[in-house]
Amino acid sequence: MTTSTTRLPRRRGRSLHRGQAASGWLFTAPILIILGLFLLVPVLMAAWVSVSDWSGRGSPFASGVNFIGATNYGQVLWAGGLSETDFGTALKNNLWYVLLVVPTQTIVAMALALAVNRRMLRGRGFFRTAFYFPSVTSSVAITVLWLFLFSTTGAVNAVISALGAHGPNWFNEPRGIFHFGAASGPAFLTGNTTLGVSWWDWLGGPSVAMSAFVILAVFTTGGTFMLLFLAALQNLGGDVEEAAMMDGANARQRFFRVTLPQLRPTLFTVITLGLIGCWQVFDQIYTGTKGGPSKTTLTPAYLSYTAAFDDQQWGQGAAIAFILFAIIIVFTIIQRWVLAEKKVSKRRMGWITDAEKRDGRVSEAVAVDAVPNTNRGSR
Amino acid sequence: MTALTGRTVSVRQHHRWKPSALTAQILTYLLLIAVAVLYIFPFLIDVATSFKTEPDAAANPLSLIPQTWTTAAYQRLFFNSDFPIWFKNTAIVTVTVTLGRVFFDSLAGYALARLQFRGRNVIFAGLIAVMAVPGVVLLIPKFLVINQLGIYDSYAGMIIPLLADAAGVFIMKNFFESIPASIEEQARIDGAGSFRIFWSVVLPMARPALITIIILSFQGSWNELAQFIISTQSPSLTTLTKGVAQLASGQLSQGTQYPLKLAAGAIMTIPVAIVFFIFQRRILNASDGAIKE
Amino acid sequence: MKHRKLGAVIVAAGLAAALTACGSGFSSGTATQSSTKPITVLIGSSGAAETAAVKSAVAAWSKTSGVKATVTVASDLNQQLAQGFSSGKPADVFYLSTDSLAGYASNGSLYEYGDKLTNKSDFYPSLVKSFTYNNKLVCAPKDFSTLQLIINTDLWAKAGLTDADIPTTWDQLSAVAKKLTTGTQTGLVIGGEYARIGAFMTEAGGNLMNADSTKATADTQANLDALNYVKQNLAAGDFKYAADVGAGWGGEAFGKQLGAMTIEGNWITGSQSADYPAVNYKVVPLPKGPAGAGTLQFTNCWGIAADSANKSGALSLVQQLTTKSDQLGFAKAFGVMPSIQSAAGEWKKEFPKLTPFLDAASYAQGVPAAKGAAAVVSDFNSQVAKLATGDPKTILSSTQANLAALLK
Repeated sequence: MTTSTTRLPRRRGRSLHRGQAASGWLFTAPILIILGLFLLVPVLMAAWVSVSDWSGRGSPFASGVNFIGATNYGQVLWAGGLSETDFGTALKNNLWYVLLVVPTQTIVAMALALAVNRRMLRGRGFFRTAFYFPSVTSSVAITVLWLFLFSTTGAVNAVISALGAHGPNWFNEPRGIFHFGAASGPAFLTGNTTLGVSWWDWLGGPSVAMSAFVILAVFTTGGTFMLLFLAALQNLGGDVEEAAMMDGANARQRFFRVTLPQLRPTLFTVITLGLIGCWQVFDQIYTGTKGGPSKTTLTPAYLSYTAAFDDQQWGQGAAIAFILFAIIIVFTIIQRWVLAEKKVSKRRMGWITDAEKRDGRVSEAVAVDAVPNTNRGSR
Repeated sequence: MTALTGRTVSVRQHHRWKPSALTAQILTYLLLIAVAVLYIFPFLIDVATSFKTEPDAAANPLSLIPQTWTTAAYQRLFFNSDFPIWFKNTAIVTVTVTLGRVFFDSLAGYALARLQFRGRNVIFAGLIAVMAVPGVVLLIPKFLVINQLGIYDSYAGMIIPLLADAAGVFIMKNFFESIPASIEEQARIDGAGSFRIFWSVVLPMARPALITIIILSFQGSWNELAQFIISTQSPSLTTLTKGVAQLASGQLSQGTQYPLKLAAGAIMTIPVAIVFFIFQRRILNASDGAIKE
Repeated sequence: MKHRKLGAVIVAAGLAAALTACGSGFSSGTATQSSTKPITVLIGSSGAAETAAVKSAVAAWSKTSGVKATVTVASDLNQQLAQGFSSGKPADVFYLSTDSLAGYASNGSLYEYGDKLTNKSDFYPSLVKSFTYNNKLVCAPKDFSTLQLIINTDLWAKAGLTDADIPTTWDQLSAVAKKLTTGTQTGLVIGGEYARIGAFMTEAGGNLMNADSTKATADTQANLDALNYVKQNLAAGDFKYAADVGAGWGGEAFGKQLGAMTIEGNWITGSQSADYPAVNYKVVPLPKGPAGAGTLQFTNCWGIAADSANKSGALSLVQQLTTKSDQLGFAKAFGVMPSIQSAAGEWKKEFPKLTPFLDAASYAQGVPAAKGAAAVVSDFNSQVAKLATGDPKTILSSTQANLAALLK
């Protein structure tokens, strides 16, 4: 019986580990089998479908299904047809969504956490409950509510007209918010295209309809991420801040020079989770707009689904899924690189060192805790 | 809300702060209350509107008191639609998935934390890698596999894929590592097998972590949508999320019918809300000591 | 009661159909073996009226044939069909649109039973053509519909208009729409999609594809004229899209009196009487455009899945559902028009107010049916939704390119 290299104390010697190999594999077997079947195998199968001409009938491994190389990827990325335009549109929509949601939800979550973390605050429990509650509700129920709130005669427009303005027809308004109502732009913008979408449209920002989804995402994920920040804040302790205070730093300096740097690991986690979640918007689109109006809420995740299940372009659907996977990885890497540890001044380092030792481990543990939440929340 | 603002006064009296700090404190409260209203109000509107008539809902979207109270939406849902079936299916799936995850996650978590066996590190690395695969990317391939396995359009097809929960294993592993090994060592010396030790010695000590898994699994599977879209087609297997999503796009009716849809949304939120309020302290106290207690 | 008589007819006809179907060429071993397997019917319903009618017709067949049959209303018919076919567990019988026929017929998903229909020669030739793939009739046309102009007679009178003002030209349509537009109500509210705006294209002498769907004809002057006309009226505020007035479709806007006129098909009668019985309306032919009368025609067929476990039962059901009595029953319930010529006379007698719809059968044009056309049409729809600010020429040329790509 061979036993492994171990980090545990082995005072009792080998005999105690007898049978552990068998048990170990036995205990992990259910999870391994399920994960293998529903994660590993699907990925391999989809990889094959994405380079095949499978039409959606019978098994993808049947003899009539042929290898067609990168054709499906080409249709989506460079063939110049409708598929490319659709993918370009979806990418544009989701890119703006990510650019708006990720920073906003991070800032909102941090602001809520800082506010709720105050020691003197009365009703902390109430506020935390209120801010966190949207995160536990289902994206379907929330989307239905959103459709009502943002309908032509909905609550949001009622508030806007009470303020004397005229609200847009949110979920039916395809115009980009950065176009400010302009019907068309300069020729060099409208004339050039990337992925079948004109530069003018790329720059137009999310449509009004998509903006309503942006607000929805911030509303539902703010609470989850607030908890992550709270956990980190409470492990900071006051000593570092006191040290800085003695040094004569004011509140703002203390935040930017002391608190924020110490929150970096959490910030990092929140942004990573935010990025991953935001690139997977699906539930809201499926429930709410089905990609409309004018395809301005189409997202790669939803497009991948409709390409396969509605239009029977299974190869293209799978190809889009893989491209989306690649996008998520690339964005995560870029984010890692941007937020990479930078040099800190010696004085600040002095305030921090202590706290940082305590911080890392906890926020990692809580991050894991939050993974399923956030996936759900912003998917 | 007035009670809260009332209390701020006493805070003020307690600590004799500089005027600037005082203003800041009041501003913070006002801001927090405004944001809290913003967060709560939509849910109140949801419930209120579900008791309105349709013209009332369109005419007074902001009012929290229906002009004429009606339970028509609820009657329609419960007596004249598939809503009860959706509810039943969601309940079945959620309970099974939660129980399954609790068992499998803790089993695997224990093995990874405590048992010495070749391949442990590989398995662990694999789990971490798996957590990085975004779920939506797997929509099409999961459908293909479920279909190939012959469990398409069945409870098995709905439930089994959801049992794969790498994050849960991770949480359990972290927890088991935090409890002292000496207790098990003693049991081991007494001749207990691995499963006995796990089942009757270690697992009872893992209550806090198990509650975390229960909360996450319950919430996750109750709110799951995509998995049920791709794994079923029969109306008899429709879940709440799928049913209500289809309702939103007009299956039961032409037109808007917001009271009906919002009633459905409100009811499907109740169980999660109950779990949330029961375990509220635990969820929110994640902030007061992470996941360990 | 009329209904009971109709029921008796249905039962009798069902019995007859079941007998003939079983007796005509379905004696192969597997077919008879499985002929009691339950049948599922997947439909894309226009509303409660249609659902109820199909359910009761299927239940009547089920009773006489002894085969259990259930009707499911799809929330997204295309998606549910695709998922069913690729899972190998499709519904046995389903609504199938002209634009998805080519795709499913080409990959063998469909049971091509057209030649086995006893009433094959009774279907309108144009409908048979719509469901012919590789020179074979694939499935039985279910019914058909055309678009015409629906007018709210109360609002019409209120605006001081009389029967003499019923528009027969585009200019007149614009003029009455202007008169009917008030603060809360728009003259003409239509769905912002090809399936409504396309009517204007045909009136101008165009359409997205030729009649056989073998040639892309999107970027013609006729289509441009049609889009420009709609655009002008949208800009003037006398036409509006249903979505822009907060309605799901033209019929809802019309029923809620957000619009005084709409362009819809004969299905509107079912939902109007069910949801908005107080609204008085009348159906008139769409005004003639530069090229004369024109409108779009829609049709579905009763598809049967190649993977169905009970094809003979399914065929017998379809045979029953396309009989004169069943089709007239459907017509009564939700306003469709029978797909068989022999029912035309009775239909007109039954629905004198709706004759403009059936009269259009002689000049109505079909929608593009080439494989993949549905995606192009939905792309066209997404662009035409922005017509008020968009450029018609750009829309048409991109659609032309996309349609041409399908035919390569």
